[in-house]
Amino acid sequence: MNRWLVQHRYAMTVVLRRLALQPFSFLTNLVVLALILTLPLLGASVLISVQPLAKEVRATPVLTIYMDPNASQAQGKEIEKRILDSGDPAISKVEFVRKEDALNQLKRNQAWRQALEVLEDNPLPDAIVVHLNTSEDNLAQIANALAKQWRTWDRVAMVQLDSIWVQRLEALLRLARIGLFLVTVVVALVVLSAVFNTVRMQALSQRDEIAVARLVGATESFVRRPFLYQGALTCALSCLLAFVLTEVTLGPLNDAIGSLAKTYNTLFRLEMPSASILLTYLFCACLLGALSARWSVTRNTRF
Amino acid sequence: MIQFTHVYKSYAADHPVLQDINFSVAAGEFVFVTGPSGAGKSTLLKLVAGLEAPTRGRIDVNGQRLDQLTPRAKPYLRRAVGVILQDTHLLYDRNAIENVMLPLAVTGHSYAQSLSRARAALQKVGLAGKEKVNPMALSGGEQQRLAIARAIVNRPALLIADEPTANLDRETARKVMTVFRDFNQVGVTTLVATHDEELMAEFAHRVLIIEPGRMQDFPVRRSA
Repeated sequence: MNRWLVQHRYAMTVVLRRLALQPFSFLTNLVVLALILTLPLLGASVLISVQPLAKEVRATPVLTIYMDPNASQAQGKEIEKRILDSGDPAISKVEFVRKEDALNQLKRNQAWRQALEVLEDNPLPDAIVVHLNTSEDNLAQIANALAKQWRTWDRVAMVQLDSIWVQRLEALLRLARIGLFLVTVVVALVVLSAVFNTVRMQALSQRDEIAVARLVGATESFVRRPFLYQGALTCALSCLLAFVLTEVTLGPLNDAIGSLAKTYNTLFRLEMPSASILLTYLFCACLLGALSARWSVTRNTRF
Repeated sequence: MIQFTHVYKSYAADHPVLQDINFSVAAGEFVFVTGPSGAGKSTLLKLVAGLEAPTRGRIDVNGQRLDQLTPRAKPYLRRAVGVILQDTHLLYDRNAIENVMLPLAVTGHSYAQSLSRARAALQKVGLAGKEKVNPMALSGGEQQRLAIARAIVNRPALLIADEPTANLDRETARKVMTVFRDFNQVGVTTLVATHDEELMAEFAHRVLIIEPGRMQDFPVRRSA
């Protein structure tokens, strides 16, 4: 056990000495890898921050039918019955909202209350809220077809598609997730080739040392170990630098997004991924670095 | 300690280096290997150290049959064999004592243990006080002795050296050879390839002569 620890400590010492001998080359490599590793982190930050927003907004698509202001409540109820009787499988729920209830609901908002109090009559129409089944395919098309049909009905003033954009947002997020996955794969390949090449150069420059070590009885594990550590250490440090770069980049981005969100009277911030995601990312980067180094040193020390 | 049985070695089909070599070296012997340039002395030593594989035949070293050794087992054999090649293969990016400590790092000795054993090895070869000197700053003889210190620091059972006194003046060559004799006297089997007849006459217990081409005979000459 003690010998095992001694050999690992020796490998680490060898790595630090090699890196200290070429500090500029090492730092350049570190910065390049850090910049590359920042890309998926930034993408993940955006996705992770936008995802709750999409969930917060009611995801069930809703169509709202606004009745003519002069239409009676009975006419509104008739429209509701007509929709229910149609038995359309795309429709999950229909509710009739009386204009008085809508006004009361609106009055609960302090900002609206003052404006509504100066009005003599209730300006709101009766409305029928139709919830659609999210399990349906082509929901956007179905909603459009229903809205088109209902607009032709007597006493219907307007049909509004409320939540279709959320569906679109979710579709966009799905696309972004795939995009992020592809970016991560590309970044992994870049890291792999960068570490492979660095270790190749290092192995060639350490040719004499490797030959002597083999001459005095070094096992292949002994020869490979410092390179494995070098790959893992380079990726670990690059990853930590990438965390810092991501945090630094999110600062000005959040300032700009915050100003934009204020104009919508809301708050929105891009957040760093959680600690568990960052730790997993760090572990994967180290593993990738070590595996790439192992591959490189095995291929480039056959002499 | 060493047993060659019908050993052949060639690097190209039409260029045999060693043919039908048969000899044995007992534990504790001091043996010189000599012969003209290109006769295959270096190849023979590399075969003993397991640095090359024979084309045909059987080699036993330190009780192990080399052709049956797995790649994983070979490094452990090399730890029992101290090798000094014609080119000393010293590492010039580290000082003398760090060069000697490398085999001890390979075998997993602690830094403190390595330091004390490397110091002792340097003292044995007459390089005490040169621990921090870069090998480049050492003379040819000192470099050769440093290579010997590195080869013996792991206390090998067998020491092999390929032309260790080439390019050295007579006095330095004698000093280097005395180091080998000292190790042999404490039981280390020693196999040295050389051209130097004077040294052989002075130090040899036994001489093996290799002739180029096919060897019908493998003469052994014993000196007093």
